[in-house]
Amino acid sequence: MDQSFQIADEEVNGVPVVSATGEIDVATAPPLRDRLQALATSGKSTVVVNLLGVTFLDSTALGVLVGALKRCRESGGDLPLVITEPRILKVFEITGLTGVFPIYASVDDAVRSVA
Amino acid sequence: MSTAGGQTATLAVDLSIPVQADLVVLARLTAATVAGRAGFGVEDIEDLRLAVEELCLSLVGGAKDGRLHLTYECEGDAITVACRYEDAGTPAGPPGQGADDLSLRILDALVDEHGRQIRDGHPSAWLCKRRSDQPA
Repeated sequence: MDQSFQIADEEVNGVPVVSATGEIDVATAPPLRDRLQALATSGKSTVVVNLLGVTFLDSTALGVLVGALKRCRESGGDLPLVITEPRILKVFEITGLTGVFPIYASVDDAVRSVA
Repeated sequence: MSTAGGQTATLAVDLSIPVQADLVVLARLTAATVAGRAGFGVEDIEDLRLAVEELCLSLVGGAKDGRLHLTYECEGDAITVACRYEDAGTPAGPPGQGADDLSLRILDALVDEHGRQIRDGHPSAWLCKRRSDQPA
């Protein structure tokens, strides 16, 4: 596993925020999927995913996020993303997912949108 | 790759890795190294890194064994990456087996050409990316 990949959890104004850093690929996406699934299982229908520290993201990571978004929306919640890095935004743009996820430039903006 | 005399040289690199999630990074690291040596700019290198990752994923799908054989060839302003998946004994699937829609959309957007085929009985895929005019 990429040693630089990390996941951190916090709550901001009562909203769970999962922050990922490093490269999210076929090797590192499973821990992110597990973390998001655990939050859904514990009844959190809305989770902010902070990708500000992510330097690489592939289709496996997109699949994890799409799956989590589906679970959140089925529970009446949402999965706002926080992205500013153009390389990461580009991956969402070319796959047509910028129209699917709510995307914000800061954690505060994302939390405000759902709080 | 340009030589001192302005000639175009060919750079070819072969890589063989076990199908293991934490080793796919080697495929994209090699792509970045070859592209850097060939004078590709940062944006092109990043595009190629992701495209090679998707090329591998599109072949192996959820497989957890076998090997991936990659060949990187740089000639003129283009890099061609060919990838062949050899499974661990089960029959080869059709070309593109495991390729999902997201991988194909990413490849469509990031490279000039890509394709799939059965080569010597093994699922294979390839891509070609040409250097853009951006500064290296």
